[in-house]
Amino acid sequence: MKPVLATLFLAGLAMVLFRMPWTDPEASRSVRFPGEEPVLAMTFHHNAHFTVACATCHHEFVDGTTGPPCINCHVTDPTVAHRLETQFHTLCRDCHAELASDGETSGPTRRCIACHLPDNAF
Amino acid sequence: MMTARFLPVAMVVTVFALTFLATFRLGGGWVWDIGNGLGFLAVAGLAIQMFPAARTGIRQRHELLGYWVLALAFAHGFWLLAVDGVVRFYLMPGAPFYMWAGLVALIVLSALALMSHMPERRHWHKSRAAFRRLHRALSVGVIAATGLHVTLSGFYLSRGYQVALFVLLLGTAALAPWWMAPGRPARALQAPVAVFLSCGGLAGVLFVLIRNAAP
Repeated sequence: MKPVLATLFLAGLAMVLFRMPWTDPEASRSVRFPGEEPVLAMTFHHNAHFTVACATCHHEFVDGTTGPPCINCHVTDPTVAHRLETQFHTLCRDCHAELASDGETSGPTRRCIACHLPDNAF
Repeated sequence: MMTARFLPVAMVVTVFALTFLATFRLGGGWVWDIGNGLGFLAVAGLAIQMFPAARTGIRQRHELLGYWVLALAFAHGFWLLAVDGVVRFYLMPGAPFYMWAGLVALIVLSALALMSHMPERRHWHKSRAAFRRLHRALSVGVIAATGLHVTLSGFYLSRGYQVALFVLLLGTAALAPWWMAPGRPARALQAPVAVFLSCGGLAGVLFVLIRNAAP
């Protein structure tokens, strides 16, 4: 029993530390966008989001005007950067999940690699 | 007392049905739903293991089901790590709390299996009573960590009432040794593993098909 469990945990550790050969090599945390914090790769399809109000992403909540792409401030501004993952999961994934649960066409709901693509197109 | 065949079927059906209460169309894609179906089956198995019943003379059933639950939990983790190159970053520093809860549940479950295996069990515990006390305490810990892992990840159980029912179900199971056999040494239910695996396999297939192939 001990050798079996030890092997399983070591295999699991190896899978966490080392990328599986069949997965995208750029699916990793690194410094991207105009920031210093390493973040996962991300993608965004503008053409698929024309039904969403522009200010949902291009916002400047301080004065209520529209602003640059959301990713800029959310990576560089230390007051919100630490909440990047939670905020973007709430904004993107929750909306996709709501559409999917209503039976409508939606973006990715759960599969991480479907959004964390290395093109970083915003 | 609940029959041995009824409990596995009822628990598997209840756990999977809870995921369909609010968002039965919501899926994470085929590969993700397969991985999470394995996880929910492990949760159902964990809950079954907590229910005591009269000993029937086939002691190994609880132990055998325990190994299956452990195997399902490992399969859940390995599958998701293998099919999605991003998942591994959610088991590194900075990962959300619910992922650490899942990892803790797996580690403690492995320790439970290791410390209960004969003849090594005698090495770990001074008496049967001491073994039973620690075994139950660690089991409750596994159930609690698993509950946090599932509810805080908040996908299949996305509504408050789903979470409340799920917590109620796990709480009922976790405390079963005390409320089902007060004052008496409870023995683990001799749940037929074949019943658990067959109805669990069917529930898992339906879980994936309904979310991904339903019109």
